[in-house]
Amino acid sequence: MFTIVRDLIRYNIEFAIGLLILLLLIGAVVLSFFSPYPAADIYVVPPDMPPDAEFWLGTTSRGQDTFWQLMIGLRNTLGFGVGVAFLSRILSLVVGLTAGYAGGRTDRVLMAINDSIMVIPQFPILVLFYFVLKDNMNWLMLVLILSALGWSYDARLIRSIAMSLRTRPFTMQSVYSGMSMRKILVEEHLPYVMPIVFATTMNNMIWSIGMEITLSVLGFTDVDTPTMGQMIYWANSHSALISGIWWWVAAPVGAIVILFVGLFLLSMSMNEYIDPRSRLNRMGN
Amino acid sequence: MQTEALLHTPKAASEPILAVENLKAYYTTKAFGIDRDIRAVDDISLTIAKGEIYGVAGESSSGKTSLIKTIVGAIRPPLHVVGGSVCFNFEGQAYNIYDLGPDELQTIRWRHLSYIMQGSMNVLNPVRRIKHSFFDFAFAHMGLDRATFWDKVREHLRRLDLDPGVLDSYPHQLSGGMRQRTTIALATVCTPEFIVADEPTTALDVIVQRDVLTMLRDIQRDLGSSFLFVTHDMSVHATVSDRIGIVYAGRLVEEADTPTLFRGARHPYTQHLVASLPKIGDATRRASLSGRPPSLADPPAGCRFHPRCPLAMDICSKQVPPLNPLAPRHRVACFAVSGATS
Repeated sequence: MFTIVRDLIRYNIEFAIGLLILLLLIGAVVLSFFSPYPAADIYVVPPDMPPDAEFWLGTTSRGQDTFWQLMIGLRNTLGFGVGVAFLSRILSLVVGLTAGYAGGRTDRVLMAINDSIMVIPQFPILVLFYFVLKDNMNWLMLVLILSALGWSYDARLIRSIAMSLRTRPFTMQSVYSGMSMRKILVEEHLPYVMPIVFATTMNNMIWSIGMEITLSVLGFTDVDTPTMGQMIYWANSHSALISGIWWWVAAPVGAIVILFVGLFLLSMSMNEYIDPRSRLNRMGN
Repeated sequence: MQTEALLHTPKAASEPILAVENLKAYYTTKAFGIDRDIRAVDDISLTIAKGEIYGVAGESSSGKTSLIKTIVGAIRPPLHVVGGSVCFNFEGQAYNIYDLGPDELQTIRWRHLSYIMQGSMNVLNPVRRIKHSFFDFAFAHMGLDRATFWDKVREHLRRLDLDPGVLDSYPHQLSGGMRQRTTIALATVCTPEFIVADEPTTALDVIVQRDVLTMLRDIQRDLGSSFLFVTHDMSVHATVSDRIGIVYAGRLVEEADTPTLFRGARHPYTQHLVASLPKIGDATRRASLSGRPPSLADPPAGCRFHPRCPLAMDICSKQVPPLNPLAPRHRVACFAVSGATS
């Protein structure tokens, strides 16, 4: 594991940059716990101050320090992405491996559910959830809802691999030696699909964070938990761009761009590591 | 290879460890309006004595592997058993494979009955170290604690001239022959009484073949196990098998001790098979039988060999020749040999 990471850093510049960005973000998450102000408090500092030595990223019209808001927002946003990715990976692994291995009726039932979720238009459903839940819609609830919507594509991907694994001699040998289905899936097939799961994790995080930001910017989530999207929401509602408080918008937008670039680079280098043939594609003819 | 083999004497038949009676297993497909049976194993009876190496020979798609799978009970749809029985005798207790429940089946598999499957060098999980495969497949059947289990595994590998270091390797780090021998070690680590090996030497070069065959013989000698050994390679049979059964189109057509089969085969198919083998110093062209093996979905009536048989008579296309004993350990299914009465 360590040598793989070392070699990737040495020979894969995308991975090195992605990892650096990820480490910076993790640093921000750690830093957020030392914030001098509680996240939800307003008018703790003079409002509308431009960036200077005391307020590195200025202050907002609500009297909050933009820098500390950004740190706490990054923590929530990253936690959101990781939470959704983790839960939806479990769902997609269970469904994908079971459907691919069991086949037959189990496969048809699971894939019917899978395909139904796949064709549901996600954004309208999320808005609908907000209007139904209203005040009960919080950060955790959104994690659960997005996890329940975000596993179907990857479940299909894992199923396709499981279907091939099912016919391999080592699976037949496992069956013959009397391993239970659960054991075969966990011990024999899971290690096989794990690299693919890692690669899809990055994509899933990009998707879920993007979704959360979209909902927050439009105000369709709990706007009291600071996230990247929530910062933009409050900046918009105070017409920050028009009144010249550009740092209030620039800080979260810049952070989101950096976060996405980092995740994208990691996802790409991960794909390249798993499938070296993609290197040839990038080399051209 | 042949001359060496022709020297070994058949072992005395004791109480059989395996008795297969009138076994029939068909691949049944019912899909999109096509409804047919592929009769891959059709009415096969045989017995194998304790400590005996029984070879099954036949050409591709003659039903060798299907026969093996049916005997060890490793079948999955569309292959299913239509009739007959497979009865093992382990430690004085009879086990009828198709009467046992899944739990009882698990108690005899690996412990008593081991199966080296076709393409067996791929039975090791490519993404896990070999020790995990050993643990997953064999640990539950040995009933030992971990330390004793690993000691036993290492000792077994050493006995088979394998470095115990292979346990820490991934399968792709080993050569084909090493992988094959590791797989055989894996299949025999529980010292089973009956080992079924399906084409264990196919796709290996002759030197590795020799290693693998020597190893199988050593295991057989050490453990006193019985072997059911399948390959289409007659020279391998000559080296390893005590007794050979020839399968043609899902049926057993002739069965005899190895020397008898190579020197005095009676069934016309076996005669042609043996005559087709190259011999050192004999440069004559080998004649090939005309025609092709029949489709098992729609086999010819009567004897399945009759469309290609030089000795075919009227009765051959009407009645199925029974597998009659010709000599004490020699059975032939042919009207031209055993007479037209049945």
